[in-house]
Amino acid sequence: MTQQVLNAIFIGSIYALFAVGYTLVFGVLDVLNLAHSAVFMLGAVVTYSLVALHGMPFLPAAVIAILVCGLLGLLIEFVALRPLRRRNAPPISALISTIGLALIFVAIVEQATSGSLFSWLWQDGANSVRFPTGTVPNPTFHVAGLTIEGTKLGILVISVVLMLVLGYVMRFTQVGRALRAVAENRRAATLLGINVDRIFASTLFVSSALGGLAGLLFGLALSDISPYIGRDQVELKGLAVIVLGGMGSIPGAVLGGYLLGLIEVFAFVRFGSNIEAGVAFAALFLVLVLRPQGLFGARLRERL
Amino acid sequence: MDFFIQLFTDPVGFYNQHELLIAQIGINAILAISIFVTFYSGQLTLANAGFMAIGAYTTVIMSLYLPTPLPVDMLVGALLAAAIGFLVGLPVLRLRGVFLAIATIGFVEALRLGVILNLPITGEGQGLKNPSADPLGGIVPILISVPILTYLVWRLTHTRLGQAWAAIREDELAASSNGINVPAYKMVAFVISALVAGYAGALETHINFFVDPTEYSVTRTIQILTFAVVGGTTNVIGPIVGAVFLTALPEIVRQFAAYRDVVNGIILILVIIFRPQGIVGRGGLAIIAPRWWTRWRTRERAAAAH
Amino acid sequence: MRTVARGIAIALAVALAACGGASSTGTNSSNSYQGKTIQLGAILSITGAGGVYGPSSQKGMDLAVEKINGSGGVNGAKISLDTKDDASDKAQSAQVAQTLIQQGQLLALLGPTLSNSAVAVHPLAESFKIPILAVSTTGIHIVPDCNYPKTDPCKYVFRDSLGEETAIPTNIKVYSEAKHPKTGVLMVANDDKFSSDGGKIVQNTVGSYGIQLLDTVQFSKTTADFATPVTKAVQKKPDVIFITSLGGIPAKIMIEARKQGFTGQFLGGNGFNTAVVSKQAGDAGKGAESGSAWYINNTFASNAGFVQAYRAKYSADPDQFAAQGYAAILILADAAKRANLTFSDTPGDRTKLRDAMESVNIDTPLGRFQFTSNHDVKQTIWVIQMDGNGGFTLVKSVTPS
Repeated sequence: MTQQVLNAIFIGSIYALFAVGYTLVFGVLDVLNLAHSAVFMLGAVVTYSLVALHGMPFLPAAVIAILVCGLLGLLIEFVALRPLRRRNAPPISALISTIGLALIFVAIVEQATSGSLFSWLWQDGANSVRFPTGTVPNPTFHVAGLTIEGTKLGILVISVVLMLVLGYVMRFTQVGRALRAVAENRRAATLLGINVDRIFASTLFVSSALGGLAGLLFGLALSDISPYIGRDQVELKGLAVIVLGGMGSIPGAVLGGYLLGLIEVFAFVRFGSNIEAGVAFAALFLVLVLRPQGLFGARLRERL
Repeated sequence: MDFFIQLFTDPVGFYNQHELLIAQIGINAILAISIFVTFYSGQLTLANAGFMAIGAYTTVIMSLYLPTPLPVDMLVGALLAAAIGFLVGLPVLRLRGVFLAIATIGFVEALRLGVILNLPITGEGQGLKNPSADPLGGIVPILISVPILTYLVWRLTHTRLGQAWAAIREDELAASSNGINVPAYKMVAFVISALVAGYAGALETHINFFVDPTEYSVTRTIQILTFAVVGGTTNVIGPIVGAVFLTALPEIVRQFAAYRDVVNGIILILVIIFRPQGIVGRGGLAIIAPRWWTRWRTRERAAAAH
Repeated sequence: MRTVARGIAIALAVALAACGGASSTGTNSSNSYQGKTIQLGAILSITGAGGVYGPSSQKGMDLAVEKINGSGGVNGAKISLDTKDDASDKAQSAQVAQTLIQQGQLLALLGPTLSNSAVAVHPLAESFKIPILAVSTTGIHIVPDCNYPKTDPCKYVFRDSLGEETAIPTNIKVYSEAKHPKTGVLMVANDDKFSSDGGKIVQNTVGSYGIQLLDTVQFSKTTADFATPVTKAVQKKPDVIFITSLGGIPAKIMIEARKQGFTGQFLGGNGFNTAVVSKQAGDAGKGAESGSAWYINNTFASNAGFVQAYRAKYSADPDQFAAQGYAAILILADAAKRANLTFSDTPGDRTKLRDAMESVNIDTPLGRFQFTSNHDVKQTIWVIQMDGNGGFTLVKSVTPS
């Protein structure tokens, strides 16, 4: 059982890291960025491409991939979000334009095989691959009958540190204050002289960089990199996480991530996987119906 | 190109070679009608795939275990979808906008992963084979259903019910203060939408031989949503045009088959940015740009100017 | 210069392959089809989730068509193959099949790639009386009961891909007779037809070899971290973990189980049999055994020639799906050669071809190939194990009784 709690905490931190970027965009821009899962996937794919196809060491590859994902965030902002904002389209149109981008991102990777247009990025089509053995050292510790993996431990630490940093930035820095001002009241923020468009662009950049980081850590720790890791493994669960935590709330997304990890693992151990897969969505449904502000009680408008 | 050349030079041959494609277009058109009804009343609900599943599974299970004639099975399937639509609607329809959309996604996935995968009677992950499937015979009821449903829903939008929906869509608050029972009218739209989706699910088992849980995921609902967005939802014809266009698209662009999803994605983005009213729509796309939203934004901006 | 060298290499390889391949029985006319074309259609999943398999099948088929047309054709007739992508979608698969059938000139169909699509396409082909040869579907109720739950056999449906119903029990038998395991845990994806069919087969088989199934751990194929289900399985301390799943999942389970200290055996089915899975599993997969339709290092001429020609044309190793696709064209060519086709009466030709397929008995990369009376595969089964480096080694070959 203790092992299962460890498993839950680990998968929870992946969910949390993914969901933080997801919820950040919702909090600031009031739109659901459904291309976030595709950026998550590209974080893993770009790192893999640099390491396995272009022979780069892991760390610089990871940094480049995170930056690339940040830039993809800007692409999302300029192609799918800003034109809609210009004509005051409601948030639901952004839902659709980001679905469009997600379709494109996934299809490009899925269709890339050796000899095709994008073979510099990906050569394995719909297949799943993993980093070459030894890309990063992964010592496995066996303590008191428990298995603890080096990479997973590292990811746990990275996620917690990053989320603390993000929390600090949001609370105590000028950028954070500007971000929260925009989230709170776009109009008032404009009056205060905040460049709202620039805030939106940087939000997308940070959110997507975080999404890319979550993706590459996922690929590293779980030995699974494919065009579908975003869409199949985290997209809808990430939605459940940000609903559990209260849409737009960063601490909520973190807690929600760990909570979902625990709920899933306990449902699995107690009732078997038959139930596990449905649990996230049943929880999502119930929370929205009974407590739409999320489990942790932040009032809807006061978030981040 | 061959696709169009044959369509115009040899329509009979075209029909014979593409019956199943035409049947699928018909199914998708019915699904588009289903999502149109909720859109028209100002609600973004994404539960259609779940109601399809209920209609489809009920029909197949009844044909497997009961001696009832097929039309009865399909009717029961559609009615059950409507009944469950009512139960789901009770708590869910209080939500709005993105929250309503997400809650209905939760319903679809919880139904698929939590229920269908766990009941022996639904065949769990293995799915069920439809013993009364008849792909080429199945096209007839589909081709009859599409115009009838289109007409009925078109009529409906011109009754008092339809006017109430439109009023709710344009301005819920104003509608409510004008004595319109908003929750009741929203519920009627949701239940009709569920009924139509359940019926489409029941019809589809007929041409597809088989039901399995992977067919009824959120992906399917998103596909239905794109019919409505691309076609436009100012009237019932829009979503149907969207369904016809997007279902036939893979055949039309077969030479780019590999990058079909790229084409799909580009179409979605272009339409939402440059033609938010859809291919067919005249004014603004109802739910994408309802008047109350623009009005509210204008008010907000006016306030900001002060 | 390089293209010339390449051309020679291909020609040599093709000649080699021709020595072993397609030696037919009872050829009755040599050049009577001169100037005619044998038109075939294939429905494959080139894009979408089945995109892992479809392109391999396609490459194998294209290679075989090229080889046969390059060496005189079928009694002088050329083969033309029209391949259509179904995007791994059941509805599109049936639509494409219908279009191919109704165009009217095709003698036979191949495919579709996925079992879910086969469920829609095969009954359609059966109702139009056109032979259809499945090249990658391994699920249950493919042949002969394509109209399951109706039990009357489908007369026009064949397959040359080894079903899980044969592969898994053979694998369990070979391993049990060698190592006598006592206990096992089954790990099965429960939201995917291929996997849950495989799981049922394992459950029905283990008893006959005295293996006690301690637990069946079901999981969703969208599971992100397999640590949770694997912990559950490993804690039972089984001798064997059976894995019936697809894509990258078997590899992920093996990696996770080894990390958690599992030292026992992995057994599985067709889900293990691609180099991609072996490569992804790496060290963790070493020794994992499965029943396979094909083994790359078989040295008999019909396989060696195929592997060599494939490498020459595509600069990559073939896999099981390529071998089955290649074999499928050889099978249809052999049947066409003996069928006395008229090339004027298509429905009649389709039936003649079907009749001739029943008596196919040729050398293919899969080994000596025949159909059973149920139109299923009758061939040697190669029990193979992963070598830890992305390849496989042969454990044992089992000839059909």
